[in-house]
Amino acid sequence: MVDKQIDPSKLLRCPVCEAVNIDREGDVYCHRCQSRIFRNPKLGTSRAWAFLLTALILYIPANLYPILVSERFMAREGNTIIGGIILLWEEGSYPIAMIILVASVLVPILKFIVLLYLLISAHFKKHRYTQVDQHKLHYMTEVIGPWSMVDVFVVAILTGLVHLGSIRVIAGPGATAFVLMVLFTMFAALSIDTRLFKERGSHGRG
Amino acid sequence: MILENSVKERPESEMLDRLIICPKCHTIHEKVAIPKGKSALCDTCKKVLYHYDERVLDHGLALGITGLLLFFVSNLFPLVKVEMLGHEQHVTILSMVFSLFENGFYVVGVTVAFMVFIFPLMILVDYITLSWLMRLKKGKQLTKELLILLSKLLPWNMVEIYLVSILVALVKLIGFMQIHFGLSFWSLVLFVILDTYLSKRIHMGELWELRHRIYTYG
Repeated sequence: MVDKQIDPSKLLRCPVCEAVNIDREGDVYCHRCQSRIFRNPKLGTSRAWAFLLTALILYIPANLYPILVSERFMAREGNTIIGGIILLWEEGSYPIAMIILVASVLVPILKFIVLLYLLISAHFKKHRYTQVDQHKLHYMTEVIGPWSMVDVFVVAILTGLVHLGSIRVIAGPGATAFVLMVLFTMFAALSIDTRLFKERGSHGRG
Repeated sequence: MILENSVKERPESEMLDRLIICPKCHTIHEKVAIPKGKSALCDTCKKVLYHYDERVLDHGLALGITGLLLFFVSNLFPLVKVEMLGHEQHVTILSMVFSLFENGFYVVGVTVAFMVFIFPLMILVDYITLSWLMRLKKGKQLTKELLILLSKLLPWNMVEIYLVSILVALVKLIGFMQIHFGLSFWSLVLFVILDTYLSKRIHMGELWELRHRIYTYG
């Protein structure tokens, strides 16, 4: 039960120290850690849009350019993300192909869709899902987001490990684009202001 | 009536501190007392809201120092060694970063270095210093800065993802070369287990409350 003096719909969670704060118009400073919790929520939204669009643009070179270049006896061969997955699948490494498919292809795409959905539905103030579901979706993107780094780490390890005589594996230009894409989607998820889901007011499904 | 008056006289922040918002679904709960060693769960999404651990600072300090030792071992020795046609090559976390630099992949190198080396190290040092200071009941302002820093660092720690990546990379190499796990690999496995446990254990809200109790009531 919440105190009568406090309006539950005006309560906010400080993203830094998790303290409960009362939402007032304009800037809110957390009463516990004094961090500025929310500036104008619109600012957070436009920042999230900027990060998300940058990430979407970077996703194109990340998939078109090779993420891994292997050199065998003077022959260079580049592998894109999708190419690498197909190669692994053909070689019969199904579990690894699945891990890379989920981490490098499905997770980023899912994250794009969820973030786009959250931002667009906030813009039109329409909601097919309840606030709780929106919060859960947002939480999920923050949890699964970092897992798209798997492929980059794999490339980094192979670059460090495989230079044996005439055989060498190095990162490709796609890796740089992919890293930046992951960073920008993480920035986008972190800059989404959870007050956006609150502004709709109603608690019901509608 | 009496109860309502006493509630009104309290400062607003104290009233707010009796509430907690679920990190996952943002449902508002009033905190309740729970028995030792138990956790309070959100009734909407079953996410853990807080634990009752009397000796959270002792545990934190012990785990933090163990983590730091494992972290050093993980970085001092080779993670993996590969052999092929008489050639031998091993990799450590830092040599991996340097070979990315050598090949001109500065963005990838810097990002990887931060996520698997600098941030995890900062989190451990931050956590150890924090537990230490709070046990000594010193450094009120510093603990605040450390707590704020800690909450900003936590989402960027990716050691557990790195461990999975090592395994994925090795599976790609099976069949081409012989693979030997180094001492650091096993140390990294232990480190990841400990780190995962620690980050499940660190509830920022609890640490803030503890800090409030320590520096207000002594």
